[in-house]
Amino acid sequence: MPTDALTPQEAARWADRSGLPLDADRHAEVAATAQYIHSVVSVLHEIDFADTPPAPTYRVPEDVRGGQRHCARA
Amino acid sequence: MRAHELSLAAAAEAIRTRRLSPVELTEAVLDRLDRTEPLVGAYATVTAERALGIAHEAEREIAAGRLRGPLHGVPMGVKDLIDVAGVPTEAGSRVRTGHRAESDSAVAARLAAAGAVLVGKTHTHEFAYGLTTPQTRNAWNRGRVAGGSSGGSAVAVAAGSATFALGTDTGGSIRVPAALNGVVGLKPTYGLVPRTGVTSLSWSLDHVGPVTRTVEDAGLVLAALTGPDAGDPASLPALPDPGTNPQHPTGRSNPPDLTGLRVGVARDYYFDRVDGQVEAAVRRALAHLEALGARLVEVDTPMARYVQAAQWGLMVPEATAYHERTLRAAPDLYGADVRVLLEAGALMGAGDYLRAQRARTLMRQAWEQLLEEVDLVAAPTVPTTATPVDEEAVTWPDGTTEAVSDAYVRLCAPANLTGMPALTLPVGHAADGLPVGMQLIGRPLGEPLLLRTGHAYEATRPAHELARAA
Repeated sequence: MPTDALTPQEAARWADRSGLPLDADRHAEVAATAQYIHSVVSVLHEIDFADTPPAPTYRVPEDVRGGQRHCARA
Repeated sequence: MRAHELSLAAAAEAIRTRRLSPVELTEAVLDRLDRTEPLVGAYATVTAERALGIAHEAEREIAAGRLRGPLHGVPMGVKDLIDVAGVPTEAGSRVRTGHRAESDSAVAARLAAAGAVLVGKTHTHEFAYGLTTPQTRNAWNRGRVAGGSSGGSAVAVAAGSATFALGTDTGGSIRVPAALNGVVGLKPTYGLVPRTGVTSLSWSLDHVGPVTRTVEDAGLVLAALTGPDAGDPASLPALPDPGTNPQHPTGRSNPPDLTGLRVGVARDYYFDRVDGQVEAAVRRALAHLEALGARLVEVDTPMARYVQAAQWGLMVPEATAYHERTLRAAPDLYGADVRVLLEAGALMGAGDYLRAQRARTLMRQAWEQLLEEVDLVAAPTVPTTATPVDEEAVTWPDGTTEAVSDAYVRLCAPANLTGMPALTLPVGHAADGLPVGMQLIGRPLGEPLLLRTGHAYEATRPAHELARAA
């Protein structure tokens, strides 16, 4: 287990703070899964986002929606 | 060919020319369903009586000269996440026991308006949060997974117990089971098909689309589903040319001609950790596209290293948010695999979610740039054929192991993150008889080109055989 791994106690406290109190028998399993999820998503720390804004959802560009772009080839 | 084996296009033509009635077709599909359900378990709910009622009504309308279109009188299934008035939407979960939908989802209403005949609701992995659909077995080998989460829809279409079906796709959930069962699946452009009345897994990644036996059929179903809907904030406004006009979804040319089409083939990612037989089948299909006139262009996969991180960074907190109240009130009603993911999702911070959203911005830009250089990208849909039902991980020749669900999402997720359309079509079988799928990824609203390319392939490499295990 990595030294910064989430402990069952920490998982219980974080879940409680986010409004999801967990029974004691859930703490270890949830901590392990949360740790794995963290290991997957933390790769994004490598990216220098500079001024990149978030994209809450995908939006088709206006020029594509207007049927002006690409339609000839499509 | 028996009625339950017909493609949608062939069934529609037989109905139009009065060689087949909607009642005959529906009875044939229901008979087939009775025989295949004990073997593969594709359906959560069967609405046989209702189906026959609708089929009789369609028959009367058509006899009176009021044919609504190619879906009129054709039996189909919808994934059990999609509301149909008066029928339960159980979402594969005990959480929904006793549920009954009060109104039609937008897509169910559109299929009903097109005259399609609902045969039943097809099994989903619980709340679409998984890639295997354990209630259902693969249509080609009952010892193998159906794939998911739209496993019931893909197996029903492959087995002949639905002429077409609807699925949903958040990280491959239409394309994965379609590929594993040798049928066609289309994840449309984000926002093209409304999700009103469809249980969400992850709002910003969810799509609804068709599962069919042929690419031509996928175009026919898509044409009935598109258009704005006020209930879905992501729904696109009315488009001057959404490219789904039934007159041209597959742009018939005879013989099929793909001259000038630039097909991107990835140097990396899409062929990394891919089973040798899957890669060989896809490369044969690429060579076939080349023989039809396409030009294969080597490309690099944009931001491949960050695909899984961005997918999880978006999907995990969105899924937990959707289930917040029921997870607090009745956690024991969820299956163990889904419950722990939902609970652990509560621990993810806003920083991770925002980083994933910003990664999506960069990915979308990089893919749009890539799709200026090529017209579409072709790749394996999934890196391996259907795995044994009790197998949890895949071991690759380089010694690494990967969870089965991670392997199945890996090649599909980029199209969910970018919102671009992606079509899977069958391109052969591995030596053990299990089907292999190839994925075509296109520009936003590029469905017509994907359908035309896929149709050119299937017209010259037809694969109409029904699945063997069913």
